[in-house]
Amino acid sequence: MKQGDLFSQTFKISESVYNGFLSVFNDRNPVHVDSAYAQKLGFREKIMHGNILGGFLSYFIGECLPVKNVVIHLQEIKYLKPVFLNDELNFSAKITEVHESVNAIGFSFVFENVQQVKVAKGKIQIGIIT
Amino acid sequence: MEVNEIISQVNTIFKDVLDNDEVVISADSTANDVDEWDSLTHIQLIVAIEKHFKIRFSSGEIQGFKNVGEMCAAIKNKLG
Repeated sequence: MKQGDLFSQTFKISESVYNGFLSVFNDRNPVHVDSAYAQKLGFREKIMHGNILGGFLSYFIGECLPVKNVVIHLQEIKYLKPVFLNDELNFSAKITEVHESVNAIGFSFVFENVQQVKVAKGKIQIGIIT
Repeated sequence: MEVNEIISQVNTIFKDVLDNDEVVISADSTANDVDEWDSLTHIQLIVAIEKHFKIRFSSGEIQGFKNVGEMCAAIKNKLG
């Protein structure tokens, strides 16, 4: 992997992803489970947990890179727009820095919805375990 | 840039990465002298130093440094 390498992936916040997240982490804040409540706050319907995108990031790092001997050192994500149940998200990532001395690689990434609106962006640094 | 100035800037990076404003490093400092300087923070320190000075070390260089002073001397050489 080298600086400038690009990666892309499509994710869907399906019922099973949403229900799995609820089941495992039990964050049932009404904004995430009650559309009427979410609408009172100005959203069109209940909004998805931001950390579902964190799960997609985990999948990307763990499963989509050409190597498996990786760990996440740090990640930063900014949520720009709400995401909703059944949204399809186009994820793209770019290697922005390579630190061969300590086997660390930095990525910038962005999630866009099907309207090509950026809903989240951030950075991840991973380590290659040798 | 002189080595003393490099050490000063590296000290600031240590404080930030280790999240400890009390950390004071010198040319003689090693990982044994700083409690929070473990294997994972070592990676973050090197990444931060490489980014700050816009340089890259080789893994051999990193392994060869006996203390902060040797690393800062290498930084000085890379900065030219």
